[in-house]
Amino acid sequence: MKLYRSLIFRELKLTRKRFLLMLILFILLSLLMLTPIMLGGLSGTSEMNEDLLSIVIFASGVVTLTGGFLAGTNNGLQKADINSGWKRYSFVLPATAKQQALSDLLVKLMLILLFGLLSAAFALVCITVSGINTAAEGFNPVCMMLNTYLGAVCAVMLIDIAYSYILMFANDKNQLKIIGVIAFVGAGVVLRVFDLFPGMNNDEKSAKDGALISQEMVNKFETVLYSEKTLLCISAVFVVICILFFLAMWRSHERREP
Amino acid sequence: MTAFDNAIEIKGVTKRYYGFTLDSISFDVPKGCIMGFIGQNGAGKTTTIRSLLHITDIDSGEIRLLGLDHIKDETAVKKRIAVVFDELPFHDVFTAKDMARIFEGMYPEWDNTVYQKYLERFQLPVKKKIGQFSKGMKMKLQIACALSHNAELLIMDEATTGLDPVVRDEILHIFMEYLQNGERSILMSSHITSDLEKIADMVTFIDKGKILLTGYKDEIIEQHGILKCDKEKLAEIDAEDIVSIRLNNFGAEVMVHDRENASYKYRDCVIDPASLDDIMLYYVHRDVKEWS
Repeated sequence: MKLYRSLIFRELKLTRKRFLLMLILFILLSLLMLTPIMLGGLSGTSEMNEDLLSIVIFASGVVTLTGGFLAGTNNGLQKADINSGWKRYSFVLPATAKQQALSDLLVKLMLILLFGLLSAAFALVCITVSGINTAAEGFNPVCMMLNTYLGAVCAVMLIDIAYSYILMFANDKNQLKIIGVIAFVGAGVVLRVFDLFPGMNNDEKSAKDGALISQEMVNKFETVLYSEKTLLCISAVFVVICILFFLAMWRSHERREP
Repeated sequence: MTAFDNAIEIKGVTKRYYGFTLDSISFDVPKGCIMGFIGQNGAGKTTTIRSLLHITDIDSGEIRLLGLDHIKDETAVKKRIAVVFDELPFHDVFTAKDMARIFEGMYPEWDNTVYQKYLERFQLPVKKKIGQFSKGMKMKLQIACALSHNAELLIMDEATTGLDPVVRDEILHIFMEYLQNGERSILMSSHITSDLEKIADMVTFIDKGKILLTGYKDEIIEQHGILKCDKEKLAEIDAEDIVSIRLNNFGAEVMVHDRENASYKYRDCVIDPASLDDIMLYYVHRDVKEWS
């Protein structure tokens, strides 16, 4: 337990500034999104109600999505460890690769929990301020919020896993630079290749041709977003991604220099 | 706890890189000893240290630290050893106090009182960020951390390089104190031989990935000598006695590896004692034999 406390303390202390910046960004965005809801809620006119519901859904969605992205994103620790030489030094410390990976996962989960709670708090404030009766509107805010949040977390964590896996091959600052350039060029090539596939490039279609996404698609998306089955599936995916994250970090801490 | 005579045992360790091979090296560091690990830059000192710390995998051979296998018993070994690198591997945002919080959870025998004593002795600020420390302060902090968990083996890779003589002397003095109970050992790699001449009990010379000499420092210094002669006399010296020859305008300086024997054989020549620096220099040129 003492060991995990040390590892987590180190990680939190190192990522403190980045975390504070993320928190400020999140709070600013929340305030920005909350303003029209507060104005609409206070006006109290019945015509406003339908619009207000859309605004509440949109605002909660944006804030939750941002929270998910911020929580799942890479915290820059690996890069900092390579730059400072700690990565090499960590091989001579008694903490095993598994213990270090578990501490990485715990920190990630703590962040996910924190931003999850903040996103939930925001949704709750929105609903309270707007005065919308969610049950009467047939809208399940918890389900929507969790689906959006976990979906965003999973997507960003997948990128983080890939990024961490690439970083694993860097042992010092110079290799980090080389790998950074390769990853940047590689990402560009991947995007270019995707662009070549039919259906991936809709640049030629303009707004005049009609809606890019049909109403039917929107309804389908909403059904999926509010569904408890989706929540179950996304939770399962989240667990799998957490395991993958742990394995990637384990491998990263275990890998010796060539 | 396993009983052991040698703090470090390296047997036939080989590690191949493109353009460099650590070639089946073997040497031991007995318990209670300071072993100086000497060699020029690129000789293989750091590769050897990284191999024995399992920072890198070896291609073949066996390494035992404190009587334990360096890979199978890695966690147990690492609780009982301390390592000092040539550069501080701690993040700049941390303070000396933060480092104590990090290490106290990692090492079961971490002693905050000992750590505080070292900080006071080195006059290191507790709450100042490491990024604002000078090079000497950074090295002192690394040493304070290394000596505060009752490690039985201290491994240092060029730890005194780049430090001024006053700081170096202070640090060497602390290492001597650290060894006083006879249970602790130090492996200290350096190309500053004067430091090792001061404190090492044993020395190991490495060059181009091969161990050239290993043994007690005093014996090695005692055995070697620099024979001074003119160029005509040089032809009379047995090739078997010679490590290498340094030619100058007046004659030659020949490193002999058996000073006593040479003093009998070449009575009309002056044989001066050799320093570790001389020994390293002459051994490095052993392949060309004659150099200037």
